[in-house]
Amino acid sequence: MEPIKTDVVVVGGGPGGYAAAFYAADKGKKVILVEREKRLGGACLNYGCIPSKALLHATALIRELPASTARGIAFPPPKINLDKLRAWKNATVEKLAQGLAGLCEKRGVEFLQGRGHFEDSQSLRVETAKGQKFLSYDQAIIAVGSRPALPAAFDLGNKRVMTSTEALELEEIPKNLLVVGGGYIGMELGTVYATLGSSVVVIEALSAILTGVDSDLVRPVMRYAEKAFKEVRLNTKVGKMATSGKQIKVALAADGKQKEESYDKVLVSVGRIPNCKDLGLENTQAVLDDKGFIQVNAQMQTADAAIYAIGDVVGGALLAHKASKEARVAVDAITGDHSSSENVVIPAVVFTDPEVAWCGLTETEAKAKGIPVQVARFPWAASGRAMTLDRPDGLTKLVIDPESERVLGVGIVGAGAGELISEGVLAIEMGATARDIAESVHPHPTLSETLMEAAEVFYGYPTHTFTQKKRAPVP
Amino acid sequence: MDVRVPRLAEGVESATVANILVSPGDWIEKDQVILELETEKAVGPIPSPTAGQVAKIHVKPGDEVAVGQALITLAEEKTAEKAPPAGKKAPPPGEPKAAPRAAAPATKKSPPQERESEAHAYESASGYPPPASPSVRKIAAELGIDLARVEGSERGGRISLADLRSYIDRLQQGGAVPAAAPAKPAPAIPPAIDFSRWGAVEKKPISLIRRTIGQRMHESWTTIPHVTQFEDVDITRVTSLRKQYGPALAESGKHLTLTPFVLKAAVAALKKYPIFNSSFDDATGEVVYKKYFHIGVAVDTEAGLIVPVLRDVDKKSLADLSRELNELAERTRKRKVSLDELQGGSFTISNQGGIGGGHFTPIINKPEVAVLGIGRSSLKPVVKDGKIEARAILPIALSYDHRVMDGADAVRFIMDLIATLENFPEQELKR
Repeated sequence: MEPIKTDVVVVGGGPGGYAAAFYAADKGKKVILVEREKRLGGACLNYGCIPSKALLHATALIRELPASTARGIAFPPPKINLDKLRAWKNATVEKLAQGLAGLCEKRGVEFLQGRGHFEDSQSLRVETAKGQKFLSYDQAIIAVGSRPALPAAFDLGNKRVMTSTEALELEEIPKNLLVVGGGYIGMELGTVYATLGSSVVVIEALSAILTGVDSDLVRPVMRYAEKAFKEVRLNTKVGKMATSGKQIKVALAADGKQKEESYDKVLVSVGRIPNCKDLGLENTQAVLDDKGFIQVNAQMQTADAAIYAIGDVVGGALLAHKASKEARVAVDAITGDHSSSENVVIPAVVFTDPEVAWCGLTETEAKAKGIPVQVARFPWAASGRAMTLDRPDGLTKLVIDPESERVLGVGIVGAGAGELISEGVLAIEMGATARDIAESVHPHPTLSETLMEAAEVFYGYPTHTFTQKKRAPVP
Repeated sequence: MDVRVPRLAEGVESATVANILVSPGDWIEKDQVILELETEKAVGPIPSPTAGQVAKIHVKPGDEVAVGQALITLAEEKTAEKAPPAGKKAPPPGEPKAAPRAAAPATKKSPPQERESEAHAYESASGYPPPASPSVRKIAAELGIDLARVEGSERGGRISLADLRSYIDRLQQGGAVPAAAPAKPAPAIPPAIDFSRWGAVEKKPISLIRRTIGQRMHESWTTIPHVTQFEDVDITRVTSLRKQYGPALAESGKHLTLTPFVLKAAVAALKKYPIFNSSFDDATGEVVYKKYFHIGVAVDTEAGLIVPVLRDVDKKSLADLSRELNELAERTRKRKVSLDELQGGSFTISNQGGIGGGHFTPIINKPEVAVLGIGRSSLKPVVKDGKIEARAILPIALSYDHRVMDGADAVRFIMDLIATLENFPEQELKR
């Protein structure tokens, strides 16, 4: 069969893949986008970021009720119509997916639904519903993403054991839900189910939830979780699971003691694994690292010169916006423009209640690497805006190079932290100093002021809090 | 401590290791010569800045080294043994812990006079690359520029687009370095022609010194509008003075050549017309008049043209100049002249007379503004007082920088020089 000739093939239609396909087409390349699902958007749009955020928003009103009652505005207890909620979430996803399909068409990017399999460095076989198709290309970009890990010991073939994908389907609201893994997925979905009425227990093998995030940023989330969840158990391991009638029997180990408990449903959120299998990578020069991620250079090129890889499949932070950035880097490399994924600031947001967001150097990382930094903190209890929102449970901090006063990192916990972090990204990317932020007027009363006041804390003259330490001016 | 390549000379950034005079384990004294570096023009000794034991030698003969590069590591006596007190946190690597007040960007630390010649290098205890916006970083990456070498003028040492532009401008101006000399044109760049089509050929790379001469000639020739003034000088009197005083001086080892006479006459003219003893700063539009008379004398060596400088020619007797000139030329031919002796000239004389030659157009030894070329004298019929006489006639040529002086200045200068030579004062020989 005569192969279909094209400039660029993108394998995978998530936020990395479609961004790469669109950008390459905008730069004049003939592009074929191969996606195994009917819909574009990948895990992010279909089983990740978007549906989870839709559900977190929809349930936020319920979380607000006790505080509202305390403020003198009470409502009758909410009635939850799960079918309607699910339909709204699905409609949101569908609308976005259709938008992507339209953008794809407008650009003349050919969408090919099917599973891609590399035959060699220059050709891809695609298994479509209408049989095999062969593509021959100049460059390929692999953006096949990752999927939730489900360790064999938990894989009972029982629908009561869920990963995030199934949990987001919102089939029912279990009376008891065990969340295995206190990472951001477990905490976010635990929040959704707890708000909808499940009794949630979170099990975390390590000594803290949201491992890797600075502990002062995690504290308000932990405080909320302890209230909203039945329990958060740290340093606890799950031995095995077994089906037990309409429940799942789970063996737990903590402090050397074994325990058996039964739950209506279990959400396994212990990480994600790359979708490298069955891609035919063995027929190319591309190389995997010891964790199964594809090895790439700063231009996202694999060991096979014709093949690039981006997003979750190359490891690092498994985040949609990282994939989208890498898409641009890869396409720039293909078209001969300079671009690099080195020293790019990738922000992270956890959409818990309250939200946690950070970018650049964290305090934890600075300590681990022995980088001398000074940290300036501004507590939201001193923010007028936070008080009017009845959310003083926040903190904004800047991680600063004491010598140059350059902002190296920003961390925020609090309501809407995810919307605030971008100023931090811009500051770091621009090489801004704390003074640059302190001297930029921020509108009052907004939460964005907390960034300015944190910078003022660094110099010792914040308006809305008091600090003894005054920093000597730099000559 | 490490002994590093010192600042060698204005515009000299690298050198080749000629000889290493110490071995690991040797105890050496302060100022003891540890090795010799060969630069484009000379072999120079590198003394040790301190006493100590040679712990490690980082280079070998033939290595090319840059200013600031470590040559050898010395274990100093006693002091080096002291470790920081236990329990106290060691300062972060790379940066001595300074008091917060003094904490300014690394760029501000070097003394201003070193800033010009020493390349900037960004350093940060955080280990982060220098601060610059993504757009500036992208431009730098596209041009292959390492931003660590660009000085940032903004807060926190941030590099603006303007900083990057001025760095690029400086790179493009590059190589605007002084020293070097007139005469022979730069070697032509070999065109990409296969000469072997017409017969046997042999290819040889040109030497570092040849390349440097070429660069400097090109630099001078393309940046200075040269005008050359030809004249003839009657040196019959100088010739007879040489015959009269030469034998006596030769006995005390002072071979009396023509050049010292020209040196003296030139200095007399330079004193009268100071613009010829100046340098022109194109950037500021200033002329720098020099109150000293250090004259460069072109010496033909096996490696190529080298111009050592005779200091304070105005203060020295003809006999002393004669001896010093012979000695300096001899050392130059052996390439044993120090870098200091190749710098600081205010005017240059290129005498081809020893080989032959008539009028020629010498190239100005930038940053000087004029150069005097001398050919070989010969007996020529000259009309003097209505009679034809055989006189010793010397062809001379003065090239000057037309930006700072005009033809009239040059003629006045050269006429004055001729008058001095033709009526050379005998008392100069008796000093």
